[in-house]
Amino acid sequence: MKKITLIIAAISAIGLSGCKKYLDQSVNPNSPSVTTLPFSLTGTESIMAAIPNGLAQITPTNSYVQYGYWMGVWAVSSGFIVQPNLSQYVTNTNDFQVWTDLYLNLSNINSMQQLAVAQKSPNYQAIAMIMKAYDFQQLVDNYNDVPYSQAFNTSNLFPAYDKGPAIYADLLKQLDAAIALINSSSSAAVPAGDDVIFGGNMTGWKKFANSLKLRIIMRQSNLAGFSALTAEMATTLSEGFLDGTLEADAQPGYTLNDAHGGQESPFWLAYGTNQNGNAENILVKANTFEINMLHGFNDPRLTALYTTVQEPEGTANAGATVVRGLYLGDPQLSQDTNAAGSLSAIGPGLLKSASMPAVVFSGYESLFLQAEAAVDGIIPGGTGAAKGYYEAAITASFIATGAEYQVPGSSPAAYYTPLESAPMYYNQNKANVGWNASTGNLEQAIITQKYIALNGYSLFEIYNDWRRTGYPLNVPRSLDEAAIGTNIPVRLYYPQIEFNTNGKNVAAEGTIDPFSSRVFWDTNTGSDASAH
Amino acid sequence: MKKLLLVSLCFLMLCITQVFAQNRTVTGTVTAKEDGLPIPGVTVKVKGTTNGTQTNTAGKYSLSVPAGATLSFSFIGYGTQDHTPTGATENVVLSLSSNQLGEVVVTGALGIKKAEREVGYATTLITGSSADQAKPIDPINGLTGKVAGLVIQQTATGVDPSVRINLRGNRSLLGNNQALIVLDGSPVPTAILSNLNPDDIESFNVLNGSGAAALYGSQASNGAIVVTTKRGTAGGKPIITYNNSLQLEQVANFPQLQNGFGQYGGEGSPYVNPLTAQPLHVPYENQEYGPAFDGSIVPIGVPANSPDGPQLTAPYAAASKLPVKAFFVTGVTEQNDVSFRQGDANNYFGISARNVNVTGTTPDDKSMTTNARVSGGKTYGIFKVDFTANYTKNTINQVGALPDGSDLYINLLQFPANLNIKNFQDVNNPTSFASENNYFSAYSWNPYWAIENSRNVVSRDQFQGNLNLTLSPTKWMDIAYRVSDNFGVYRAKDTRAEIDWSPYALTIPEGPLGGVNEAYFNPTVKGVVSDFIGYGDGTGGLINTTGNTPNFNGDQGLSRLEGTATINFHHTFFNDFKTNLLLGNDIFSENGNYTYDNSNSLLVGNYYNINAIGGSPTLQQANAVIRQVAYFADAQITYKGWATLEGTLRNDRDSRLPAANQSFYYPSVKAVFIPTDAIPGLKNNNVLDYWKIYADLSRVGQISAPPYSSNSYNVTTGFPYGSLGALTVNSTYYPPNLKPEIISETEFGTELGLFKDRLHLSADYYYQKSRNQTLDVTVSPSTGYTNTLINAGEVDSYGGEFSAQAIVIPKGPNTVGWTVGGNFAINDSKVVSLLPGVSQLQISQEDNINNGNIGGVFAVVGKSYPQLEVTDYNRDPKGNVIVNGANGVPTVNPNLVDEGRTTPKYSLGLNSQVSYKFVTLNVVADYRAGNVVYNEIGSAMDFSGSSASSAAAGRQIFVYPGSVVNTGTSAAPVYTPNTTPVFKGGWEYWSTTPVNVGSPYVTSAAFWEIREVSLAFNLNQFVKNTKFIKGLTFALTGRNLFLFLPKSEQWGDPELSDVASGGNGINAIGAITTNQLPSPRIYGADLQVTF
Repeated sequence: MKKITLIIAAISAIGLSGCKKYLDQSVNPNSPSVTTLPFSLTGTESIMAAIPNGLAQITPTNSYVQYGYWMGVWAVSSGFIVQPNLSQYVTNTNDFQVWTDLYLNLSNINSMQQLAVAQKSPNYQAIAMIMKAYDFQQLVDNYNDVPYSQAFNTSNLFPAYDKGPAIYADLLKQLDAAIALINSSSSAAVPAGDDVIFGGNMTGWKKFANSLKLRIIMRQSNLAGFSALTAEMATTLSEGFLDGTLEADAQPGYTLNDAHGGQESPFWLAYGTNQNGNAENILVKANTFEINMLHGFNDPRLTALYTTVQEPEGTANAGATVVRGLYLGDPQLSQDTNAAGSLSAIGPGLLKSASMPAVVFSGYESLFLQAEAAVDGIIPGGTGAAKGYYEAAITASFIATGAEYQVPGSSPAAYYTPLESAPMYYNQNKANVGWNASTGNLEQAIITQKYIALNGYSLFEIYNDWRRTGYPLNVPRSLDEAAIGTNIPVRLYYPQIEFNTNGKNVAAEGTIDPFSSRVFWDTNTGSDASAH
Repeated sequence: MKKLLLVSLCFLMLCITQVFAQNRTVTGTVTAKEDGLPIPGVTVKVKGTTNGTQTNTAGKYSLSVPAGATLSFSFIGYGTQDHTPTGATENVVLSLSSNQLGEVVVTGALGIKKAEREVGYATTLITGSSADQAKPIDPINGLTGKVAGLVIQQTATGVDPSVRINLRGNRSLLGNNQALIVLDGSPVPTAILSNLNPDDIESFNVLNGSGAAALYGSQASNGAIVVTTKRGTAGGKPIITYNNSLQLEQVANFPQLQNGFGQYGGEGSPYVNPLTAQPLHVPYENQEYGPAFDGSIVPIGVPANSPDGPQLTAPYAAASKLPVKAFFVTGVTEQNDVSFRQGDANNYFGISARNVNVTGTTPDDKSMTTNARVSGGKTYGIFKVDFTANYTKNTINQVGALPDGSDLYINLLQFPANLNIKNFQDVNNPTSFASENNYFSAYSWNPYWAIENSRNVVSRDQFQGNLNLTLSPTKWMDIAYRVSDNFGVYRAKDTRAEIDWSPYALTIPEGPLGGVNEAYFNPTVKGVVSDFIGYGDGTGGLINTTGNTPNFNGDQGLSRLEGTATINFHHTFFNDFKTNLLLGNDIFSENGNYTYDNSNSLLVGNYYNINAIGGSPTLQQANAVIRQVAYFADAQITYKGWATLEGTLRNDRDSRLPAANQSFYYPSVKAVFIPTDAIPGLKNNNVLDYWKIYADLSRVGQISAPPYSSNSYNVTTGFPYGSLGALTVNSTYYPPNLKPEIISETEFGTELGLFKDRLHLSADYYYQKSRNQTLDVTVSPSTGYTNTLINAGEVDSYGGEFSAQAIVIPKGPNTVGWTVGGNFAINDSKVVSLLPGVSQLQISQEDNINNGNIGGVFAVVGKSYPQLEVTDYNRDPKGNVIVNGANGVPTVNPNLVDEGRTTPKYSLGLNSQVSYKFVTLNVVADYRAGNVVYNEIGSAMDFSGSSASSAAAGRQIFVYPGSVVNTGTSAAPVYTPNTTPVFKGGWEYWSTTPVNVGSPYVTSAAFWEIREVSLAFNLNQFVKNTKFIKGLTFALTGRNLFLFLPKSEQWGDPELSDVASGGNGINAIGAITTNQLPSPRIYGADLQVTF
């Protein structure tokens, strides 16, 4: 045997040098082994924009769509398939989960951050920190405690969970640090076309970071330490916020093409039509709750947010052009099908085109946040400044949706521009519309108007505001007879993948009840958030 | 490769012009003592030289012999005889050997031939002719039931069948578990063997254990089937054989269907009798939960073409033949093959060709296979060269999927029992009831639509060849070099025609699919085209239509170019010590690549070219290379022929492993002892002729990591937008320290020859420990990845294999001969560990008809592998189903319940051969048991109401058999027998409750099958006086003639158990999906003429 080993050793020695090269597979011919900061930035931005706009690879349907159904924005036409998870508030460890999409994008942002540190590119590093805060806040708002400090470490396959408040506190620090990093790196390289949100405008990133700070702070409005956060906000107040002139929208060049997983703008890809003209999500219909609210406010955004249909035959105003919806789980309309086209769907103010930009953080959301913050004293100016923010927010929403009043008596119909229409709207002497008519409860007016403005692109923020403030009031519950209890869920279950792969840590969070286990900033004690 | 072809061609020319040197010629006939019939293939050698020949089919030989030389006549199973010819004719009568087992020559790893008595591992020799007796198209099917421990499973039938080949169960959790196929000394993909002409095969040597194949190192873990092809014949004269076989194939083994009830699917009012609350017939339904057939005339569907159009009607009574059966046709397989073989002691040449033309049981399905093979060899003094080259072309044209992605079969099972499906064939006539706009069913598709408009056309070109050069400069040394290559091109095109819904169809809710199904809401469903082009082994197995990471099913899918150099020293010292030392080096390179394109937006409805589409196509392109460099040594010493000790060692360096871990050693040691030769008291014993015992210890490996196991980036979804690109981290993490899987095997065995070789027995026991498994595990996305590869997991598998072969009645010239044989194997396994803290690992996911997940195949710590776990009803401690006391409906346990293993624990094969004069009857039967299968089709059939089970209670309310109710509390349950019947006996219960649960469709996968029957007539004696024809045989053959199933298995043939949706595509058997057609029964006739 010894001899054999010797001979083998001899042959091996001869062949070894050539052998190493022959067996080298360090270059993968199918996918690159390295990335660049621009490629990482473009990819992570586009996914960051896609998730809140309804596009994520989750079941049973688009990300956050359930919040649209539950919040009275949309309703599901049940003529096709029974969707108990939507109309009966059945949540489980598989449905509606955005966990994997958020963490995978965060992993990409994290690796971009590491690459930026390694390549000494502080502006990219700061952008990564801001994007991480944006996605991590969604994780906390959906799940409360989530892995944070131990995440993204391949030597630890079982990351422990961090407390929601601790993550929030750290996110604020990260945002401060990101702003500071940008301010101290004016001579460093900035992104260009690879930044599909701000095109390398670092002021835009600072305003985005600051608006995100405001979102995180305002989310804690019911917590004991809320007013102390005024100081936190003050440190970066001078950076300014997103507003009607600058908002965070992604635009890599969306186009109507189904290739590469769909090149349409994510909201269009989720709810519009594909390149063959086939509808992607014909279950989504208008909800009578919001239709009635808009009618009550004489709000011209009604026909921007929802399509118009003809009243069907056999009804009182047969043939009339109306916005016609249904309540979630309405049994009366369960046989209604799209064929007859008798129910309104998502309107042209939202589904503008397949190439429209994807809203990441809208100017009107930032303005509504500033209005609320000014009322609460988090930012200076008091209610006087708040009124300005509030009206600017509504104006921005009108411009975004293209909402117009018809010039009275004009024939053929002439319209005021959205810019002209907005003041006509917010100058109405109606509670929750006009500022002066709402002084009794400015928070309600702000959140109610924010609810209308955030229709479509920011369903999750509508749900977050409702959980935090209870506004808008009287969000209707599902009419489905089989709806469990009568409540709207107040959070999601942890996803099944965590139970399968990180069981001990997720079990340490205890039993989650989607109807009563609230995230930390949701201080409502009842089983129904809308009750207060 | 071109070079190899050229070299092969050169040798072809040489062989054709060969010259046979002659000396003094001796001729004669060799016959068998037992029946007096001539024996073909007897080796005739001039003793002490390499000069020799073989007898031809008539038992005749002719050999040039120096004066006074002695001729030695030897043949497997017969005693060797020496004769010194005195004249020009020397006829010899051989008799069956009393010690034949030890004389058999076994071909082992690397094509090394050894006497059976020196072999220290379990191996079975099956001759090519015995595997071909029932004329299978795929030679692998001829081994079914014939080898202990070899489980051959037909997982797909039809015109493009597929098989799994497994030895000794599954040992790798996620890696390949299929046996290595070695063709003429070189590993080849299974597909190469499947496409080989069975008539070209000389023998199969099945090496059951990894120890037997240890010289293959990291490819050896699953045992091997060593296939040797026929070379030329001996004797100098050419032999030409023509063979024709015609087989008919009929779909058998149908699931059990009901034929008492017609259409209804839970519509409610107005389709409910207001007085009785019983359902009424619904003309447009695909479900069959309607009233019992009553013979009246009912409308079917809605009026065709317009509201005033013609209305289809049908008697409301079961059609004479179940529509599902009427749909299928009789498949015809015609096989023609011709071979030419010629040769003498030093040179040989053979050429053969085969054509197989198949029409399937599904209308319009067809396939054609053409093989051509050439082989030759020549010896020049100390230099010897031989080669084989084989080319196969295989074309398949079969039905594709329906526009919603569903399979033909599942739509077929939603066809009412009172309609004649053949009336719906005229699909392309827009005004007929078969047209998509007029088809009666609002929820299922006309199967004939798919046949006419959705096709899947595949073509596979495969080449395999090898060239061996041997130099024997001295008596004790051979230097050999072999180069072998196989490669193939796979091309496929899937096409589906556009559908333009008529305005009428779109407006009526009860109309064809266009009216009600959300996915088909739009006036047009665009046509589809996909092109698959893959270079590799010709199977296209590499092609991943969803990404640029090639699919790897073991090593399958890749072309392979391999060079093996060996030096073999062999010498006998002191007359008693026979020694052998083999040193070798092996280098192989496997290659593959593919391009796939697809579009669902054809511009012109039925113009199938990827250039003529709207939008951009989906495109995938990827490449794969696997390289390995190995050194090996095999040393063997045999003392006096009765004690053998062998040791092997192999070092592999494999490109798939990280550079630091590339080199691995695989040792093995084997010992053999023959007491009947070693112990004087056992010699010349009337009962025990031959007794061998052996033991074997080995370590082999398997590399389950795919090529390029390094972290990489993928293009982000949606990109590129114009010139703007983006990259995303690959969601699978590859740690930097992956190692191969290591399988250690211990094996003991014995073989016995009894009663003058009338009875052969063999038995073995093995224990395999497989550790360091390469697992692709799901991890928490908070790690940044969804999956990671990891080396963990340990599986023990163990079992025994037994076989017996007995000559019950020896055949005489005018008496009946009868031999029987049997083989039996037990295989069991235990998952010892997985990841730390993880008790089970999901291998595949199984779905029900509603695409709901009902569980799947798992590896579970402490249990055998693989294991089926599905959802079940809640059960009391005695196993009785707990029902809801209010409505009698079983309550569902959302947790998965272990149902048992999915691979057979027991496999048994029996064969019998009765012969009388020139007639031989062969029967092979096999039995498998100890495993379970999930029949997804059961869920589909209970949903549609076509199953017999859904009508077992006559669609009346019934008390769930053996059920209990909890009359206590949930904390302190008290179970009392249930008397509450299920609230409804029709649609309300059957299509909602059982279909969403897994356990109702899990059945025992046990079966008995009469695998092969052949009645062969050897008509040689009737044609021996004719000038041209030398031999004539005729045979009637049947395969898979009868299948016997347990009563619970009412859904078809459990042998089809295969991977279901999702998960690991190579190990997860345990489910029969809805795209697997019922298995067929095949019978035919075969005629062979030899010139």
